[in-house]
Amino acid sequence: MAAGGYTGRILRVQLGEGNFKVEKLPPEWIRDYIGGDGFAAKLLYEEVPARCDPLSSHNKLIMSTGPITGTLWPMSGRTVFVSKAAQTGIWGESHVGGFIGPELKYAGYDMLVIEGQSDKPVYILIEDSNLQILDAGKFWGMKTHEVTAAIKREHCDPDIQIAAVGPAGERKVRFSSLIINNARAAGRTGMGAVLGAKNVKAIAIRGHGAVEVNDHEAFTKLAKAAHMRVRTNPQAQEMGKWGTWILTAVKQEIGELPTYNHRTGVFPGWEKLSGDYIRPRYTISDRACFGCSLGCKKMNYVREGPFAGTLGEGPEYEGLMAFGSNLGIADYPTTLKANQICNEYGMDTISAGATIGFAFEAFENGLITTKDTGGLQLEWGDSQTVIELLEMMGKREGFGDILAEGSRAAAKRLGRGTEQYAIHVKGLEVSGQDGRTHRSIALGHATGARGADHLRSLVVVDQLGYEKVARERWGADKLPEIIDPYTEKYKATAVVESENAYCIRDTLIVCWYSVSWPPIFWMKDFADMLPLATGEKSLGDVKNLTRIAERQVTLKRLFNTREGITRADDNLPRRFTHDPMPEGPGKGQTVDLEPMLDDYYRLRGWDLETGLPTEQKIRSLSLEWTKKYAPSH
Amino acid sequence: MQVRSPEVVWLPSQLTVDYTKCTGCRICELACSAKHEGRFQPSLARLKIIRYDDLGIDIPNVCGPCEEAPCVEVCPVYAMRRDPISKMVFLDHDKCILCKSCVGACVNGVILLDTAEMRIIKCDHCGGDPECAKVCPTGAIQYGPISSATTFERHGKVTSYLREIEHSAETQLSDGGS
Repeated sequence: MAAGGYTGRILRVQLGEGNFKVEKLPPEWIRDYIGGDGFAAKLLYEEVPARCDPLSSHNKLIMSTGPITGTLWPMSGRTVFVSKAAQTGIWGESHVGGFIGPELKYAGYDMLVIEGQSDKPVYILIEDSNLQILDAGKFWGMKTHEVTAAIKREHCDPDIQIAAVGPAGERKVRFSSLIINNARAAGRTGMGAVLGAKNVKAIAIRGHGAVEVNDHEAFTKLAKAAHMRVRTNPQAQEMGKWGTWILTAVKQEIGELPTYNHRTGVFPGWEKLSGDYIRPRYTISDRACFGCSLGCKKMNYVREGPFAGTLGEGPEYEGLMAFGSNLGIADYPTTLKANQICNEYGMDTISAGATIGFAFEAFENGLITTKDTGGLQLEWGDSQTVIELLEMMGKREGFGDILAEGSRAAAKRLGRGTEQYAIHVKGLEVSGQDGRTHRSIALGHATGARGADHLRSLVVVDQLGYEKVARERWGADKLPEIIDPYTEKYKATAVVESENAYCIRDTLIVCWYSVSWPPIFWMKDFADMLPLATGEKSLGDVKNLTRIAERQVTLKRLFNTREGITRADDNLPRRFTHDPMPEGPGKGQTVDLEPMLDDYYRLRGWDLETGLPTEQKIRSLSLEWTKKYAPSH
Repeated sequence: MQVRSPEVVWLPSQLTVDYTKCTGCRICELACSAKHEGRFQPSLARLKIIRYDDLGIDIPNVCGPCEEAPCVEVCPVYAMRRDPISKMVFLDHDKCILCKSCVGACVNGVILLDTAEMRIIKCDHCGGDPECAKVCPTGAIQYGPISSATTFERHGKVTSYLREIEHSAETQLSDGGS
């Protein structure tokens, strides 16, 4: 019997042989890695060979859950997909809400590992102990919502949870995503392409079992109290009402709303992309992921205009930014339509929007012409062109075939100096933040294991001036600099501490919005809860949780090291470090990355020159085992 | 042959559902199974949220309100009966022969057969203090006498109407000002 909360089993799908294998979850993993992201990092490091092609049969796709997935703890319905990333060739992870993670637990598995490659299109059915690899010939080519409906119909069960690959994943679009039940996306780093390359069209999961925690009564009581904390939190109430759209106004106000391919941080048309404007005009219902009392998802319908009849969830703030302000479009229906196309084809909205932004700016500056685009005029604010380009990217037609490689690879292919407009870090397009007006995210973007990431270390406390929280977490001596978004000082402290807490969040796995904005739960809350859930006493100590988090960050770093990542790769696009912010509250600001990097490496125990974890650090985190898997040169 | 007309009763308290408020979070299913099964197992919850992801609609299916209860009518051995005071339908497990007639007859589809322990699972409104209504974050599931349920509903409607008026006034103001 595994510790409470876990099912204690790992399910492997061996596509090459057409087999399933159920393994015991190594109990020592619980103590050292807790679950979720941690388990996946350990498994990926051990089993995916260094320098292998992410689209080859050597790569694996891991779906992982945590000890409290499927329990009453607020917002614990999330799951993570981990793989060597198709888009960047380094560490890849993508978290998703919805209901599929708990369903895997109820089916009786903590993790799902998909290995090898199938020679014909298949889909994987996991229904408790009924495990099948089924022919997906008739589903190949279907959009994600079509295949989702078709599989549910085929098995006469509307409660099957489905992770589907769309036409983009089939064609190995580098930023293709996995779409869970129509509208939840494991978006970033190209998980769709990894699964598409394995010839898997979908993963269908249905479970009837239970998740049992160690101390049911105490855990349930604590979880209910935690729900009340979410329900009574004023910011959480706002978030539930407006969803992530609330951020548009916030970002505009602080001059951090990426506009015209991150050229500036203020957008004149922002009001039409704000929650205040959208909700009364388009939203028809509020929805939530599993076990969430906040409920930030919105179902929307467009009644008139060129996109009349569009019905769909989303987009999130990131989608509004990617297809709205970042492309100069002040029109919500366009972003909804674009978001829907991305969901149907299975593409990441952030990378798709940013890649289009890259093309727009290169076109504006004459580096690419209608000869490249096949006659398309690319202009800021042109909704129809955006929609057309997205379809072309999803189908890999014409110019869309080049853009389907993502901005870094597209710039390399086009040449002519277009790379100055590819706004990415390590190949992953920059999300909806700007380091110039929020210094800590500059460091987060530069050091994120999967590239320009806003979910692993984004500090909200400094951005929105939570002075009281900052004092409690980092000490009064670091104020006011630590919450000044325009100074580099102490930013590494804030980033490292936040990254550690988010690491624990990603092992449990709970939602960003219970931890970060608003900051409802933090390390202490998890330390109080984990022993009740698991029975593992050592997880009740914040110091130990911090150590586990450090281990996880360093392990991901070692994975990237093995792929050749060094300090030189922890950089930012020139735009953020050399072009001063042209307007808005942060006018004239640029990022001075190097001192922040120094501080960050020092705090992490990584070498200042190379950015690699030091021997001493590796030993102190008990990561010596990684040496066994280092590449042989 | 005389056909017996089904018994129609007045229900002192009942679970009422407003699907426009339901977000489909399934906290109710979790809390239900936590209370009655001592573990987290939505498949054995006494109520069920039906999610329509393509339409964005979530509908809670709960036990009742049944002024005429098909599960009582259909039970061949009178194991399914009404409590004389609360009028809540309960299952007498000692009498139940597991024929599953009630499972098929339930209009809301919330009576289940637990195939692991071979028993019928049926909501008992937690003896008058239902857990699902207590944990529902949006008030989509409520418990009380029917008269107060309509009051809740009217209150909700009036509040949203007032909000609408307020909003249009604001919009007109801001439109007029620009």
